[in-house]
Amino acid sequence: MSEQQSSQLLPGLFEAIAEDQRVNVLHIGPALPETVAFFSDAGFRCKLFFLDLFAELPLVFQPGDELTVQQRMSQLMDFPQDTRFDLCLFWDIFNYLDETAIEALVDCLRPQLAIGARAHAFAVHNTRSPQLPQRFGILAGDLLNLRPRPAPLPGYAPHPQARLQALLQGLTIKRSVLLAQSRLELLLHAAA
Amino acid sequence: MIGPSIEIKGSVSGAEDLLIQGRVEGTVDLGDHEVTVGESGKVNADITARTVRIDGEVAGDIRGTEKVVISKTGNVKGNIIAPRMTLEDGAIFKGSIDMDPGDAPAKVALAPKSPAPAAAAGDKGPDLDLKQG
Repeated sequence: MSEQQSSQLLPGLFEAIAEDQRVNVLHIGPALPETVAFFSDAGFRCKLFFLDLFAELPLVFQPGDELTVQQRMSQLMDFPQDTRFDLCLFWDIFNYLDETAIEALVDCLRPQLAIGARAHAFAVHNTRSPQLPQRFGILAGDLLNLRPRPAPLPGYAPHPQARLQALLQGLTIKRSVLLAQSRLELLLHAAA
Repeated sequence: MIGPSIEIKGSVSGAEDLLIQGRVEGTVDLGDHEVTVGESGKVNADITARTVRIDGEVAGDIRGTEKVVISKTGNVKGNIIAPRMTLEDGAIFKGSIDMDPGDAPAKVALAPKSPAPAAAAGDKGPDLDLKQG
């Protein structure tokens, strides 16, 4: 059964977008009907890119693997070179990636961030915060839809906020909101 | 209609609506008409039409000048260009969706009408707000 969650920080993601601006949106997660409907119905000029890294978990190097985590991430983040992302949606993914994988993700993403790019993410205030087995979609500019996952995901090991900020080279946490169960909602800006 | 036992390699074009229940490899261009890939359809091709509905499997890019729908049984790997797009519950999609409606201005504002919290300024660290519940 899905549930809805209001968001204080999502409006901050969209407030910098001009009405006639063409934007590229990167969602690191599965394509869900409500997310597609939100951007479709809004009728604004956008290109949505979906990359479901959750389907690739655990993203860790194991003996016998042919590719390093950096190489795997580079293959997965294979977007057209001239694409620059204006908005990025990192709904819960950082809680499932270890430091190497987060750095690899950000290293791939950094050159493709537009000037003034913004991102929205979920992290934790307390690393003992319980795993939230849900998928996130967007219903409105300040409202998310949370759908239960059919099975728990491997690799849940959230990072302290200060450590996460250090790993997110090129993105700065501008605001954070403490949610229930010691979870954090984050609004990030691309570093100038 | 391209029936379930039909297999086509090459270009498919025409001036009428088309239902694909078989296999197609190549390109499908129906211009101002409608293409439906039925539940048993397997298409490894780029598709262009006014409206494209996917109930089966497609690997390729899809251009719908009016609309693209991926139904609950649909599975698409590719890039989609369409001004309107519907993904039904259960649909599987990997790729990108270009929804640029051309010169038309946005129909609704993305941000809600209530003012958003002001962003932290300069080098100041992130603000931490407390939320009920």
